[in-house]
Amino acid sequence: MATMQSAAPPTSARTPNAPVVKRKRTAAQRLRHDWPLLVLALPVIAQLALFFYWPSAWNIIAFMDYSPHRPFWENPFVGFAWFQRLFNDPYFVPALLNTLKFAAAHLMFLFPLSVVLALVMHSVVSTKVRSTFQSIVYLPYFFSWVLVVTVFVQVLGADGLVSNWLMGLGGDRLSFTSNPDTFLLLAWMQWAWKDAGWGMIIFLAALASINPSLYEAAAVDGANRWRRMWHITLPGIRPVIILLLILQIGGILSVGFEQYQLQRQAVGYQATEVLDTYVYYRSVIGTEGASFGTAAGLFKGAIGLVLILGANKIAHRLGEQGIYQKS
Amino acid sequence: MTAIDIKPKRRSSNRPMWDEEPSFIGKSLKSLFLIAYAAAIVVPLWAIVATSFASEDALTKAGGNLLLVPTDLTLAAYREIFSGGALTDSLVLTIILTVGGTAFSMVLTVCGAYALSRTGSLLHRPILMLVLFTFLFGPGLYPSFLVVQKLGLFNNYLSLILPVALSAFNLIVLRAFFMNTIPGELLDAARIDGAGEFRILLTIVLPMSKAILAVVALFYAVGYWNIYFSAVLYTPGLETQPIQVVLQRMLMSTQGLPDGASAAAQYQPQGEAAPTAALKMAVVVCTVIPIVIMYPFIQKHFTKAVITGAIKG
Repeated sequence: MATMQSAAPPTSARTPNAPVVKRKRTAAQRLRHDWPLLVLALPVIAQLALFFYWPSAWNIIAFMDYSPHRPFWENPFVGFAWFQRLFNDPYFVPALLNTLKFAAAHLMFLFPLSVVLALVMHSVVSTKVRSTFQSIVYLPYFFSWVLVVTVFVQVLGADGLVSNWLMGLGGDRLSFTSNPDTFLLLAWMQWAWKDAGWGMIIFLAALASINPSLYEAAAVDGANRWRRMWHITLPGIRPVIILLLILQIGGILSVGFEQYQLQRQAVGYQATEVLDTYVYYRSVIGTEGASFGTAAGLFKGAIGLVLILGANKIAHRLGEQGIYQKS
Repeated sequence: MTAIDIKPKRRSSNRPMWDEEPSFIGKSLKSLFLIAYAAAIVVPLWAIVATSFASEDALTKAGGNLLLVPTDLTLAAYREIFSGGALTDSLVLTIILTVGGTAFSMVLTVCGAYALSRTGSLLHRPILMLVLFTFLFGPGLYPSFLVVQKLGLFNNYLSLILPVALSAFNLIVLRAFFMNTIPGELLDAARIDGAGEFRILLTIVLPMSKAILAVVALFYAVGYWNIYFSAVLYTPGLETQPIQVVLQRMLMSTQGLPDGASAAAQYQPQGEAAPTAALKMAVVVCTVIPIVIMYPFIQKHFTKAVITGAIKG
């Protein structure tokens, strides 16, 4: 109970105007009233504590020379030595650059594809065509990466469908799914196949929320199709675009693990190494220690945190809502 | 102009009066784009299903891994999957993980979402912050791995459920639904009548949220069904692996080697013959079917859920 009382004041201090409590009650009274809610929240708190906050705290070993074979507090602090080592590692910088490359490509080439798909869909008037197409395009979003890679290998691989057609026509065997030079294109095609439909659904929902009388008024005023899109549609979905952009920028270094790990054997590590696979192969199953792998992960997490907060700040500056409101 | 002389027989009856009919070229380009996009998704899936029913002779004759037109249909591949070998074990394991994991995740999420749906309650704000912070930061792969080891969950199937049991996104979606859709007056009335929070949750809130609960459950289920990364990281030493890992191992037997067909022989599970294309594709079909069955339902209710989550979160 004492802990409850000591924990309560910061709540009200941090958010002076958020909860409008009808009458002032002491923490003890509130505890008597609200304990069932605390009990209900307990499993969630326990799960987050064990599998989010505890591992987050373990990031401290990125600044230590950690060895599992001695008591925790006997591990010496070494400052930023591991980060220095990281940047001197000949494999780290390529992995970082690959990560940035995939993230940038995702942002520049997949995001617009979803918007275009949504705009095209939005202009289709037949509801039957719309619902059929949506169902088809959105389905692969629920497939696992293993499945997506399997499909691509079966269709575009050396023994795949297209390769066999080409050979039947007297052409060469395709090496698309094992060619490091074209891996970025392959990755993009896989994103488009798997995820573009998801983005499309989000943008379509945003499009549906635009008041149709705006279009009518503009049409009556003589605005053609393109002008209506430019002056009504795009401004109408701007908040959603910005929200998704912020989330993407925040996760820019989290390009995923599975897609790259699954194609590592076929394409080679040079083209597919990203930060997550780097940590896995160098540290988890490799010979580098825990501190090294943790430092690489923390580097990623810290950059992500700074980027998402920064992007959100810029969004607020631009008068957008962003991921959270300043309440 | 065209808006006025609408031809009454045209199918575009959904088109509003003020909207001009698009040009023929524009329409054709649009149709072509949509058809090509849909075909890029449907044709490979169809070929996979067709191949899974193909006999070995038909496959050899076609000379490839995939068939577009199935001839000489056989259920041999499916018989092998369900014949009680490693593949059957893997499917059973994946089903148990999916059902158990989803149930556990739902209990966590529902309790948490309801607790956090009451603004102004004791510690509401700090607990919400605990949940929301997970959107901003990731603890990293190695520390998570370390914690699973420290908890003694390494090479334990529980490590495939517990670390991923809570999706903060799902919790926020559900919380937003509880806050915005269930009338506060109803809950207040129940409280005045002396109902406790647990009772309100069970008898009022849950029955009113069936659709969204089902969507959230299906999202968790798809996640557990597709588990691959966690198994690679946390349970590499166990004999029976989730179906995605098994599928990946079968795929690796041919992928990436210049002459895939001969390399297939390198992969021989328990001394059996190399998996045929039909068997591989039958496994693919087995991993897809549950998703396709759930899909219409997810689709029906999903968009609303995502938008609430994205905007209210």
